[in-house]
Amino acid sequence: MLKRKRFIFAMLAILPTLAIFAYVRLYPIADTLRLSLYQWNILSKNKPFIGLANFRELMGDHLFLDALINTTIIAFGVLALTIPMALVIAALIFHRTRSRMAGFYETAVFIPHVVSLVPAAMAWKWIFDARLGPLNALLDFFGIPMQSWLFDPVLSVICIIVLCSWQALGYAVLIYLVGFKNLPVSLYEAAKLDGASGRQSFWHLSIPMLKPITLYVSVVTLVSGFNVYAQAFVLASDAQGAPGRQVRVLVLDMLENSFRNYRVGYAASEAVVLLVIVLALTLIQFSMLREKGKA
Amino acid sequence: MASVEIQNVRKAYGDFETIKGVSVEVPDGAFVVLVGPSGCGKSTLLRMIAGLEEISGGTIRIDGRIINDVEPKNRDIAMVFQNYALYPHMTIAENMGFSLRLAKKSKEEIAERVNDAARILGLTDYLGRYPKMLSGGQRQRVAMGRAIVRNPKVFLFDEPLSNLDAKLRVQMRAELKDIHARIKTTTVYVTHDQIEAMTMADRIVVMRDGIVEQVGAPLDLYDRPVNTFVASFIGSPSMNFITGKLGEDLTSVTTENGVRMPLGKHASATPGSEVTYGIRPEHLAIGQAGEGIPVTVTNIEPTGSETFVQGTVDGQKISALLRERLFIKTGEILNLAFLPTNGHVFDTASGIRID
Repeated sequence: MLKRKRFIFAMLAILPTLAIFAYVRLYPIADTLRLSLYQWNILSKNKPFIGLANFRELMGDHLFLDALINTTIIAFGVLALTIPMALVIAALIFHRTRSRMAGFYETAVFIPHVVSLVPAAMAWKWIFDARLGPLNALLDFFGIPMQSWLFDPVLSVICIIVLCSWQALGYAVLIYLVGFKNLPVSLYEAAKLDGASGRQSFWHLSIPMLKPITLYVSVVTLVSGFNVYAQAFVLASDAQGAPGRQVRVLVLDMLENSFRNYRVGYAASEAVVLLVIVLALTLIQFSMLREKGKA
Repeated sequence: MASVEIQNVRKAYGDFETIKGVSVEVPDGAFVVLVGPSGCGKSTLLRMIAGLEEISGGTIRIDGRIINDVEPKNRDIAMVFQNYALYPHMTIAENMGFSLRLAKKSKEEIAERVNDAARILGLTDYLGRYPKMLSGGQRQRVAMGRAIVRNPKVFLFDEPLSNLDAKLRVQMRAELKDIHARIKTTTVYVTHDQIEAMTMADRIVVMRDGIVEQVGAPLDLYDRPVNTFVASFIGSPSMNFITGKLGEDLTSVTTENGVRMPLGKHASATPGSEVTYGIRPEHLAIGQAGEGIPVTVTNIEPTGSETFVQGTVDGQKISALLRERLFIKTGEILNLAFLPTNGHVFDTASGIRID
């Protein structure tokens, strides 16, 4: 009886949160899935069901395919840059935790993660600026030819990857630091007696033992990488200065389709494709995590 | 194999000194146990030998070479940790061969040495498994194996059996002793368990508050403890202490109300001085009427093979470990007799042995 009462109380206690979660999270996802099967121009009452026609059209839409390729390159680029850097930086900070500067290092790395996207991107836009930017000034100082960072199709993607990694790094370092703090000290002492140098301990102990953390950070980084928008929008304008044109990304394409071209159903089908990709990658990563756990 | 010489070693954290000038010699091939209560500095001393703690003062020599500033990996020692410190992501074979892999030995040599160690420890069937698939005792053996494959000059053990259950601990104690008898590597072993110390050591070092109280063979420590601390620490159950005054003839101690306890030898103190008489519970036996000391029984614990009796003599606590089965009740008076040669006498104020 008591159990039942407690269960009802618990359910009532979480109901408000659950209701909000359902309204702002679950309902939009379900409605997006539904909308992707319709043709709708946002204003019209007429909303015909067209089945998978939106998806069929997507496969031939070169703007969408461009955006998909760019987004994938950016997401995996951010992943490839962030994970090793975060691991090394976390290791350096962790092994310097006794130094007076430890707090400063942690804060310095984490600040980019909490800075608003647009001002941060504006600052980077200045750094990458072809004529006034310090990066080109530095290259010029060393006699290296200056680059048009934000106008070159390849370089501009790299610039976005750098900016996104800079922002993702703080969170990844923070999570890795928690991981490092949970590794047993005696294992490192044992390794020291076994003859391992600091680098060898890092390579043979830290990296394999932090695998679950790496998988988690990878999932988070990859998902946020696929959601890239503001960075590309601010950083990469085309030659005429139109924002977001140089490097087209999926979220931008979706926004344009729904609110500029008024093709909400079509944009919803893009969102579904993005959802499927992210879900598939997450499942792959978590199945890897589970397999490791069984060992 | 090598000797270990610890000379006047100190360890300080700021102004706080945890090791206050310890000197211990571990002869080549010996099995020396550092024993003492928690916080006595025994583990710190071991970690200083290993190179995991800096030495604040004094010198440590291994095989005649001062190793104070030598990197742990260059000290040619192997250590077994309390929690085993096995690498969880490596198989047993990889765990055992890790040091050899770092030393860039050939795969064939690593396999050979790992297999040899596994054979000694009965781990051959487990080489492909991961540590978490093994029981506590098996993990303990892997930790030993990791030390053995390196063929080091000195083995260091930091309370290696304290995570095991009582039965397994007894079994592993025997196994460790057996392995030492076979490979004869100089061993320094830390424990807080005096039974481990007594059963395994060639020589025991009793420590308290960062100093060495006594060094000696197990039975020497049992038979002639230098002070009340060693007397109470070595032996289980602990030695009984009864305070009284030294007799005129210096061969007996008498309590306040006249209970007389004879000594087998002369005490070196002035007659009438305050002393503490020590007698081990296992040295007490049931005496005839009028023989021994009268003990008022307060608690009886029969264990089957023996009976542990607690009581008071002249208001002071005393316990006895008797072989006989007793059919007595609490409150009754029991005469307990003992050989005077089994009695010990200590100065009450300083606790130092005076016979």
